[in-house]
Amino acid sequence: MVETLKEAHPELVEDARVLRPRRVSILAKREHLLRLAEILRDEYGFIHPISAGAVDYPKEGRIQVIYYLTNPSKRFILTLRVNLPRDEPKIPSMTKVWDAMNFHERETMEMFGVVFEGHPNPVHLLLPPDWRGGYPLRKDFKGEGVKV
Amino acid sequence: MSEPQIEPEIMRISWGPQHPMSGQTRILIDVDGEVVHRLIADLGFTHRGIEKILENRTLLQGLIPIERMAMVDTANIGLGYVLAVEEALGIEPPERANWIRSMICEICRINSHLYAFGLQVESTGYFPAVFLWTTVDREVLLDLMERLTGARWSYNFIIPGGVMNDLPEGFQDKVREAVNYLRGRFRQYWEAMVENAVFEMRCVGVAVLRKEDAIRLGATGPVLRGSGVDMDVRKDEPYAAYGDLDFKVITEQDGDAMARLKVRFHEIEQSLNIIEQVANEIPGGPVRVKIPLFPRPKPGEFLSRVETARGELGIHMFTDGGMNPYRVKINSPSLRNMYVFERLAELNRILVADIPVVINSIDPWYLDCDR
Repeated sequence: MVETLKEAHPELVEDARVLRPRRVSILAKREHLLRLAEILRDEYGFIHPISAGAVDYPKEGRIQVIYYLTNPSKRFILTLRVNLPRDEPKIPSMTKVWDAMNFHERETMEMFGVVFEGHPNPVHLLLPPDWRGGYPLRKDFKGEGVKV
Repeated sequence: MSEPQIEPEIMRISWGPQHPMSGQTRILIDVDGEVVHRLIADLGFTHRGIEKILENRTLLQGLIPIERMAMVDTANIGLGYVLAVEEALGIEPPERANWIRSMICEICRINSHLYAFGLQVESTGYFPAVFLWTTVDREVLLDLMERLTGARWSYNFIIPGGVMNDLPEGFQDKVREAVNYLRGRFRQYWEAMVENAVFEMRCVGVAVLRKEDAIRLGATGPVLRGSGVDMDVRKDEPYAAYGDLDFKVITEQDGDAMARLKVRFHEIEQSLNIIEQVANEIPGGPVRVKIPLFPRPKPGEFLSRVETARGELGIHMFTDGGMNPYRVKINSPSLRNMYVFERLAELNRILVADIPVVINSIDPWYLDCDR
């Protein structure tokens, strides 16, 4: 699957590989993420969303957003990743492709400050609505003197 | 959560978080007369930041906070974390340890399903005694676990490299005794509850989740299998001793509250079979391999999957060569099912009085949602 995807859509994929058996990782180009997501859903059968999250790499100045997906007939895990600059983390919301990414994107938004454009309900999921203490899962979050 | 606006003819009921049936969450129920127009889950009341806490713990210290995610199902959650740690350290547990792990996990699964079963029956409003019966029957399992691990909750018994201790003397006989007792009890439950006409009326055809919706909305565990999808990590990607054990993945086709209850019910039967198999056929040998107290994992990322009582749990651990993990992402099953719950009112005609039945048939664990 990794090879066919690389050959069919070289312009959308930055990197695709098998991390270990049953774990596939695809790094998308930021501007083509939405298009790649639609292809994965419609052509490769990744219709069962699992979750979404992110990892912060302050030294490299990037945040990597990760979508976890699976295909109900093949049942391995695909992680669809995209690198965003840390000072302007903005991508289109995947809720248009996978409805169920709604909660997970809201969590990533409040924890990492990633902006999901076109999200139907961009409010806090776990943190209080008036939380002004920063983004807790970023690496430079200290948690000192937080006022709720 | 900031509340969205409503139209003037819709009434909004705020249910929870202190209501005994809602659990530690608040649900906004928009009603049009008696019919539920929209459901909104307000989560986060038990958010403890476990993912952040884990970044500041060594790999072994992380065992303590991670098991606080779902007290009723600690072994399954702990095992998910331990599998990721073992992959990071490149160690393989001995075979006997794998069999003991499977047994503990199945005991926890029964424990958790019994709780869910009792709550769903209680929420129909007619049979408060059943919740007490299931609570009493859980004692049998808690006593077993106390004999094995020394604790009734939060065992921390599954550790990287194996399990803490070998089975105590005479433990297999106790297990067989408990299995026989529970089998008798479940026959009574089936006759008293599942075949009860009043109970059927409250559950059959309530909150139907069709197969394609369950897949699209990312349902997991008994909710997904109750809609006819036979996804179970224990079969798809066998871990611990599940590759050697004989069990079936239970599915029901109807997708309603009753189907989800029946899935849990039959899964308990399968779990009892597994526990009995382990008690009868467990191989000999050591139960743990020695690992250093402060292990340094190789840099990389490790994604483990386990099937907890509520569905698939994923632990995605990133390491950078230090003693602490760089980041741990927890893919919690209850959060996925909570989203299904939010969407149910759009897919079905749900009445206000059915809400407790619906939410307990989904069986989310809010501490697991919030992490």
